[in-house]
Amino acid sequence: MHAALSLHTAQHVPEPSTEWSARTRERDLIVAAQHGDRDAFAELVTLHQRRAYAVARAITATHEDAEDAVQEGFLHAYRALDRFRPEQAFGAWLHRIVANAALDIGRRRRVRDADTLSDSVALPFRDPAEHDELRRRLAEGLEGLSQRQRSVIVLHDVEGFTHGEIGSMLGIPEGTARSDLHHARAALRRTLGDLWSQR
Amino acid sequence: MSIEPRIGPHGRDDDLTRALRSLYAAPSDDAYWTTLAGRIMARIGGEAVVEQWWQPLARFARIGLVAAAVALVAARIALSRDAARQTAIAYDGVIETPATAPLQLATDRTPGSARDATLRYVISP
Repeated sequence: MHAALSLHTAQHVPEPSTEWSARTRERDLIVAAQHGDRDAFAELVTLHQRRAYAVARAITATHEDAEDAVQEGFLHAYRALDRFRPEQAFGAWLHRIVANAALDIGRRRRVRDADTLSDSVALPFRDPAEHDELRRRLAEGLEGLSQRQRSVIVLHDVEGFTHGEIGSMLGIPEGTARSDLHHARAALRRTLGDLWSQR
Repeated sequence: MSIEPRIGPHGRDDDLTRALRSLYAAPSDDAYWTTLAGRIMARIGGEAVVEQWWQPLARFARIGLVAAAVALVAARIALSRDAARQTAIAYDGVIETPATAPLQLATDRTPGSARDATLRYVISP
């Protein structure tokens, strides 16, 4: 039991020395990329693309839009790399850029698909369980939320970002993120409540 | 029937969080991420090619901007010198009264103001 607990802890909380070396490695990659080393930037892409996708997926309606936002985000980041200051956290800086790209894509899509709102919260592309009642109801519940509330609840409850980080990414005050989260949770609980009470 | 969510740490509703995580799970296939990284770098590669094409133009634009700034300063200096010369000429024109002006007044026979009449009386023989 104790050994299992230690292993669990080791998996989730990196040792300080490991974290330090990872940060140093990341800083070296950033400096190299700032000097035009494209392989270094490719390594940064590999390191950060999953988290960047998670941010984009929380904001956009579909997997495809999230993919586009990630690509746009990395492209913007590459263009703006010389303006990145080493004392900043690269992840937070990149997430803001990706979130902006995702918000832009969301705005463009809303204008384009104004008459097809029922498809606005599509299930992930590779999910075969479209008929699963819980997911269907959850998708319905998410549709009932505003885009911002949806983004906030996914970024917080699924991805584990803090209210402050979410506020920074979405360009809203921390208190607004907190309030959005509360309302989104309440709305989804109402939607799924009777389903869960049947269990 | 009342809803009693199982609230976990940080106020999370565990059931809701689990359902959301299953809905928003990122692709787990490593090949997918390799492909995505490749697509991102391909776009960046295209961007770099474009940069190489317009970078010389950007350098020319910088040289052009510097030349335009120098020309602007030179034109401003020339204009200010010209304006000073024009001012000096105008000032000279005002303060240098023609010597014939009193004679013209003295020979003016047309009826005029009281001042003209006084002047004519004084200079008359």
